[in-house]
Amino acid sequence: MNRDNSNVEPHSCEEISLPGQIEFARQHTGKILSQRVLADKTFAIRIDARELAEAITPGQFFMIRPERGTDPLLGRPFALYDTIVDDQGMPVALEFAYHVVGKMTNLMSEWESGENVVVWGPLGNGFPFYEGNHLLCVGGGIGYTPFLGVSRETLGTRLYGDSSKSSRATRESANPERRVTLCYGAQSQRYLADLSDFDDFDSSRFRIQISTDDGSAGHHGFVTDLVAQNLSAQGNDRPDGVYCCGPERMMAAVASICQAENVPCWLSLETPMACGFGACFSCVTKVVTDDGWDYRRTCIEGPVFPAESLAFQEN
Amino acid sequence: MITRNDHSVWLRNRRKPSESDSYRKSSRNDRIDEQNDIATEDQSLMADLQVTLNRLKLRNPILVASGTFGYAREMAAFVNFSDLGGIVPKTVTGESRIGNPPPRTVETSSGMLNSIGLDNDGIDVFINKHVPYLTGLDTALIANVAGRTVDDFAMLAERLSGVSGIAAVELNISCPNVSGGVDFGTNPDSAKEVVAAVRNACPFPVIAKLTPNVTDITAIAAGAAEGGADAVSCVNTFQGMAIDWRRRKAVLGNVLGGLSGPAIKPLALRCVYQIAKSVDIPIIGIGGISTIDDVLEFLVAGATAVQIGTANFYNPAVSGSMATLLNQQLDADGIRSVAEIVGSIHQTTQQSC
Repeated sequence: MNRDNSNVEPHSCEEISLPGQIEFARQHTGKILSQRVLADKTFAIRIDARELAEAITPGQFFMIRPERGTDPLLGRPFALYDTIVDDQGMPVALEFAYHVVGKMTNLMSEWESGENVVVWGPLGNGFPFYEGNHLLCVGGGIGYTPFLGVSRETLGTRLYGDSSKSSRATRESANPERRVTLCYGAQSQRYLADLSDFDDFDSSRFRIQISTDDGSAGHHGFVTDLVAQNLSAQGNDRPDGVYCCGPERMMAAVASICQAENVPCWLSLETPMACGFGACFSCVTKVVTDDGWDYRRTCIEGPVFPAESLAFQEN
Repeated sequence: MITRNDHSVWLRNRRKPSESDSYRKSSRNDRIDEQNDIATEDQSLMADLQVTLNRLKLRNPILVASGTFGYAREMAAFVNFSDLGGIVPKTVTGESRIGNPPPRTVETSSGMLNSIGLDNDGIDVFINKHVPYLTGLDTALIANVAGRTVDDFAMLAERLSGVSGIAAVELNISCPNVSGGVDFGTNPDSAKEVVAAVRNACPFPVIAKLTPNVTDITAIAAGAAEGGADAVSCVNTFQGMAIDWRRRKAVLGNVLGGLSGPAIKPLALRCVYQIAKSVDIPIIGIGGISTIDDVLEFLVAGATAVQIGTANFYNPAVSGSMATLLNQQLDADGIRSVAEIVGSIHQTTQQSC
């Protein structure tokens, strides 16, 4: 898979690149393997989907729906949390996290192991493979989930997608000085997810900072305070790139801090989707063009965009 | 055209179909494997799937509906296009249109509302960028156009007649989501006038896509027939809305939208049935089709072909599996051709009277 094309070039009117149009996406029926609680109304679910697990990379997503029935009708998009590997280290299943908010996620919270679901993917461009020195990941609410895979890949402890098959060279060339900081903001402690999956990182290269809106855990305030603190540091303590996923207002704030600090920033958007692969033209977002802006499909032009390519909606 | 030769590969099949086969991946490389999976053991699939709608001949009656299949590229990972009778890409207009503000879709009970607003890059980009890809696919290309005036429609048809490889043009005289979009589809005289103008402007078959948001859809179908339409597509979406009562706001950015999906199937079937009963014109049935039974219900009601629409969104491989399923079902029931079953409810009704 070519992952060098993650939207780093500015968008132009004439040539629209579609880095998230994945020619090897597939539709599968797979079994639910397990479901576990991560936080209040927040669950992680594992699906037996070998081909999808082999192909997907952090920041990409897939669509999921029940095998039968028409209500709910449409699939729902979920970002990869992690792939599950077998004894030989080959990915055999995928895991994603969700927060119960509506009809589909309520139904999902009742899904039991052994039930079949339909998934299609991988979809979207995913985060670019990070090659700087210090990556700052910023997650708001359930938006922290792509950063487990991103951190593993950035620190070279796991590779995803096609790169995992030719992993040795890439892994050995991973910069041993490279660091990751995860800033994770939630409304309050009871919505903070269990972060034990992040325990296996080398603490000299990976750290987590937490904020809650009500001060019940970590920094009392918004996660954007932590972002500003990190970017005011000196030397290698100062991140040289930012990946962000969360509510749009939070992402807009992070983007503006990064712009002021002159640090490149990528945002992973979540817009309402009907199909996930570009057919329906529902999930449009305003992308900056030579002559203003244009609505572009988040699913196949993104969902990860360089912050400067987006024209945020004024709400 | 389907011949026994084309299907000889199916005869080698050794496996029973499984539940999940309709969800299986389909790419060119493993296509033969999939055909083997779907076909049943020792069965020769030989029903004649070819259908004729006046000047338009299709190798099978399974089409995909405009606005639900992108420009086909988007579906390439999920569908082997040669399994389709034809593709109707997203509506093209003369000038580019930015489309409606999001949210553009919202799910409803067994259906969805959309208000995309004909977001497209205009006829020039369509011809230069999308048509070369679409005409390279092994299936019929039915371009779908929309204009504000009769002259707009005629101009678009004329532009398309300069391009080789287009099998037919479908007129979107039924879009509920743009101003003036449905005007031609709500008045029989206007429908007749626009169809006649397009027939004059291009050499290929003309299909009028009808809106169900009228008092008497058969009158509009009759107008299109008088104008010289080769077929009518029946139906576009039903106008509807969704409300977030807590915010006292409509959910869609454009307030009103068009309802599609399984929820509208009985309504669409009624439209097809009524037109088939009273107007002498081939019908392409559309509305909530997602299973082979749905396809057959529309054929029996009087449709000569069908379009799969919203199902492409939530079951992206479904359109590619449908012709094989149709072949199997006709074969299992001893029906030798699609033509034999089209409109059969009307024969039954006559006999029973």
